[in-house]
Amino acid sequence: MRFDEVVLAIMRAVDGQRTVSSPYHLIKGKKSGQTIQDIGYFGLHPYFAVLPKLDKQEYLASIDRLQTQGYLIPDDNSVRLHRSAFDLEIPSTPLNGWKYRGNENRFFARLSLVVQTMSNFMQGQKRFDPVVTDETVQTWAKAYLKRIDFRSPAVQEAFKNQLESSLALAKTTEAHKDILVERLSGYGVGGLTWDQLAMEHKLLPIDVKIAVVEAVHAWLDVLEEMKHPMLAGLLEGIVQTSALTESAKRTQSLAERGFSLKQIAELRQLKTSTIEDHFVEMAMNDPAFSFAPFMEEHLFESIKRISVELKSMRLRDIKERLPEASYFQIRLALAMRGGVT
Amino acid sequence: MNLEKLLYDAYGYTEFRPGQKQVIEQVLAGRDVLALLPTGMGKSLCYQLPGKVFPGAIVIVSPLLSLMQDQVAQLKKMGEKSVIAINSFMKPEDREKAWNTLGTYKFIFVAPEMLVQPYVLGKLNALGISLLVADEAHCISQWGFDFRPDYLRIAEVLPKLGNPQTLALTATATDKVTDEIKHYLKLSDPFIYSHPMDRENISYDIRKFDNDHEKLEALMNLVAEYGGPGIIYAGTRRKSQELAERLLALGIRAAFYHGGMEQQDRIFVQQQFANKELEWVCATNAFGMGVHIPDIRHVIHFQLPSSIEGYVQEVGRAGRDSLPSLATLLYAAGDERLVESLIMDDLPERHEIELIYERGEEAKQLIEQGMMRETAYRIISYWRERLPLQGTLNQIERLKIEKQRQAASVRGLAHSSGCIRQYISMSFDQKTPGIPPNCCSFHGIDHSLFKGNRKELKASPHGSWKERLKVLLPI
Ligand SMILES: Nc1ncnc2c1ncn2[C@@H]1O[C@H](COP(=O)(O)OP(=O)(O)OP(=O)(O)O)[C@@H](O)[C@H]1O
Ligand SMILES: [Mg+2]
Ligand SMILES: [Zn+2]
Repeated sequence: MRFDEVVLAIMRAVDGQRTVSSPYHLIKGKKSGQTIQDIGYFGLHPYFAVLPKLDKQEYLASIDRLQTQGYLIPDDNSVRLHRSAFDLEIPSTPLNGWKYRGNENRFFARLSLVVQTMSNFMQGQKRFDPVVTDETVQTWAKAYLKRIDFRSPAVQEAFKNQLESSLALAKTTEAHKDILVERLSGYGVGGLTWDQLAMEHKLLPIDVKIAVVEAVHAWLDVLEEMKHPMLAGLLEGIVQTSALTESAKRTQSLAERGFSLKQIAELRQLKTSTIEDHFVEMAMNDPAFSFAPFMEEHLFESIKRISVELKSMRLRDIKERLPEASYFQIRLALAMRGGVT
Repeated sequence: MNLEKLLYDAYGYTEFRPGQKQVIEQVLAGRDVLALLPTGMGKSLCYQLPGKVFPGAIVIVSPLLSLMQDQVAQLKKMGEKSVIAINSFMKPEDREKAWNTLGTYKFIFVAPEMLVQPYVLGKLNALGISLLVADEAHCISQWGFDFRPDYLRIAEVLPKLGNPQTLALTATATDKVTDEIKHYLKLSDPFIYSHPMDRENISYDIRKFDNDHEKLEALMNLVAEYGGPGIIYAGTRRKSQELAERLLALGIRAAFYHGGMEQQDRIFVQQQFANKELEWVCATNAFGMGVHIPDIRHVIHFQLPSSIEGYVQEVGRAGRDSLPSLATLLYAAGDERLVESLIMDDLPERHEIELIYERGEEAKQLIEQGMMRETAYRIISYWRERLPLQGTLNQIERLKIEKQRQAASVRGLAHSSGCIRQYISMSFDQKTPGIPPNCCSFHGIDHSLFKGNRKELKASPHGSWKERLKVLLPI
């Protein structure tokens, strides 16, 4: 998938209902209530936080291209796509941003350091400049290498074979895998910069970045399945067990202990609106979530019905027809309806 | 104490380089020291070795994040385990952990803006500092090419740290800057070691052209005739990119390097360069202080540097293995205009100054909105705490004059009709150095010495990911 296709895929889902900058926040992984709830409403799980370091300028450049190509119609308020944007064939993607949350970068940093270390030791070089400077990753890699006894030739061979066979299984293109491995360094071999990769593969730098994320996600899916102790070790803490953000998790545990929304806000010294965001997040993620503490059954049904009738997820549209419902109630009901992928 | 033995036992070096021993002896004797040693001479050793003797921690203040990371990597590579760098980009939990285990570290690198935080000061105080090191101490000079207001804050925290023994290190300081360092760091009766900053193994060549076109052609011929590894300094990020593209189009292995790239990419370029996968790096001055690849043979300035100090730092990347190296400055008529506009661009403008005075901290948001430059914000918010608006305006006016003076001295370099080496030494108030063979284009350079030693670079592994994996992990 190219970056522009990622942006378009998101825009096709939110067409007419969200601002032009909403895909930007989603791709960066902004943890605001709005962004998180949109993921559920519109089924945008693949794209959440796939480029946490995305630069605004790079995003605007993409918007520019989409407008020039006529897919996107300039509009100050919201995304307005031309019909042609819907006819466009967008390739399916192994992206799974909601699951990995940008943690794939940590995985890749660990892997880079481990491969670089093995590469150097295999070739008799015990001192080298580490390709990753992050102290946490360095400490982690050191402990990991020791644990797997990386100096043993048998281990080195097994490690390499597992890398190769697992990556072979990853459901992504060969070209993506080429790019991914070119980001790795070793003895006498430096990783390639985004610009170098872009030039080599005749893509935009931002497209190579997406390619790497896609490849890593596809690979992680394989590694998780394989449960091979050596490589599985690299996944430590990478895959979140709960889909909730950290803060929502804390709210959830208080809710489970019977505290009300207001009490939780007081206890945590947070705004009620923030806690409301957390409940919406929980509604989105937990199939067993109950709306009973927040509204009557018939109100819930009405919100759902009107949203279908209006073919809209816009809170304001629904509120106009159902003034007795609060925005929070509408968001909650819509979140429960969502969860589609 | 037998320092030679200590040197060998600790780091495996058999002898001191000029100046190192004198400096280390005085540091060990408990004196404040200001050491002016040329680029690449081994200034870091002047605090590394005392670290082996002193009971307490060595706290090193370093101006740049990248530089700090470099130094830490270098120390670790030398087998030093108890090193840590603390900066404001660390994740809070990492920083927390670092603070709690601080006592276990011998070498602690701190960014100057961290040093002034009361919490940090408290932690450091509890620790017991044996030596405070100001690396690249010229950054303290308001008039310098590399002024970092946060460096001035070191002066403010010294008393709070119990006025520890101090070591100031720099490669580029005029008499004026030396005085400023002494003054701001409150060095009491310091031992000053000043090694001639001249680097004998570097030959200085200046070539002039009538226009940009000819200059560019000359550069293309240079890279074809002379071998790398080399650096080509360009004045702007865009230019560094453009030059790299031109070299690549000629089939020459080159990459660009500038501060706008993400850190990982910058590390990749450094590694490729060190591995000899690249012949040339086209860079802005972000590729400067702290780069320590030993066998860089050629440094080319495609655009005029903005100060002689900057020029010396950049040229100082060459020949760190003491072998003959070439520094070529390419000049086209009118080039000084670019320098002047770059210098002026760097200076805070009146409206920025007024905005910061009006809005204080809030003005920081203007950086994100692109209405204010970061450097401008940094400098002005420092002065805002100390001077009224008019005072700062005057201050910046003086800075402008000083910058213009520096630009003039660079212009003088380009147009000098005498020995380049002497011109440089004079700008640093140093006495005239001797004239080594192949001194400069005025005294004559035997170019065959540098020509035609283009080595075949080993091909970098292209092809499929499986092939690359095989190269990375050959088993
Ligand atoms: N006595 C010595 N013998 C051999 N090598 C040395 C000695 N002292 C230092 N070196 C080496 O010289 C290199 C340059 O040292 P260092 O980085 O300290 O230079 P520097 O003076 O700080 O340069 P810069 O001004 O560019 O920061 C290092 O690789 C270091 O290991
Ligand atoms: Mg240094
Ligand atoms: Zn000369």
